[in-house]
Amino acid sequence: MTPGQHDPGQHDPGQDDPWDLDDPDPGRARERTSLAWTRTALSFAAVGAVVLRKDIILGLIILCAAPVTWQLGRLAHHLRGRLELVTGTIVAVALAALIVAVTH
Amino acid sequence: MSAATLEAQVTDTPPADPAAEGTEPDPRYTFANERTFLAWSRTALALVVAGLGVVQLLPPFPGVPWGRHVLGVPLIVFGAVVAVTAYLEWVRNQRAMRLRRPLPQSVMPKLLAAVVAAMAVISGVVVLVSALR
Repeated sequence: MTPGQHDPGQHDPGQDDPWDLDDPDPGRARERTSLAWTRTALSFAAVGAVVLRKDIILGLIILCAAPVTWQLGRLAHHLRGRLELVTGTIVAVALAALIVAVTH
Repeated sequence: MSAATLEAQVTDTPPADPAAEGTEPDPRYTFANERTFLAWSRTALALVVAGLGVVQLLPPFPGVPWGRHVLGVPLIVFGAVVAVTAYLEWVRNQRAMRLRRPLPQSVMPKLLAAVVAAMAVISGVVVLVSALR
């Protein structure tokens, strides 16, 4: 069986059904994912703090990404564009870091 | 071009929206895929900050003025590459799960291991050259 496939034969309707796609809380997966978003937000804060030592404006901009990322993790996972935004932010941070590394 | 070939090409071309085809997978797998993406994103940020730290915080290598940049700049660039690749892999995995297909093999661990090993070798060379001058 491939990941994500659901075998109806294993279904036990009397229990809390983890395969129920309408279930808003599939076990602790949502909580673990929320914590992963929090860790990612903290990573942005750490990068911002490092950059802050060399470039205050740039560091503050990256620091602002931390609460935004944290908030993104709290939005519904069906909301489009969240992961694209994180990817774009990291690429922008890398570009800024490259400029700081080369010019300062 | 045969209809089968055309159909295979269409099927193998990822759509812009990974949620546009197939059926919604088990939410636990969707969350797990998202967590994997986030873990790689943190790795990307760690690479960026490591590269910046090498360039900005390490003392210069005696006799090798370009040493810090040779070590730091590739790490920063690779951080951006990891971030983009992590997103592309998230799209591929999400699509595979929606279509009830086996998950594609990830290139990320091999890529990361190769780059970290290469950086270790380059670091050794820079230190050696610095010590000899």
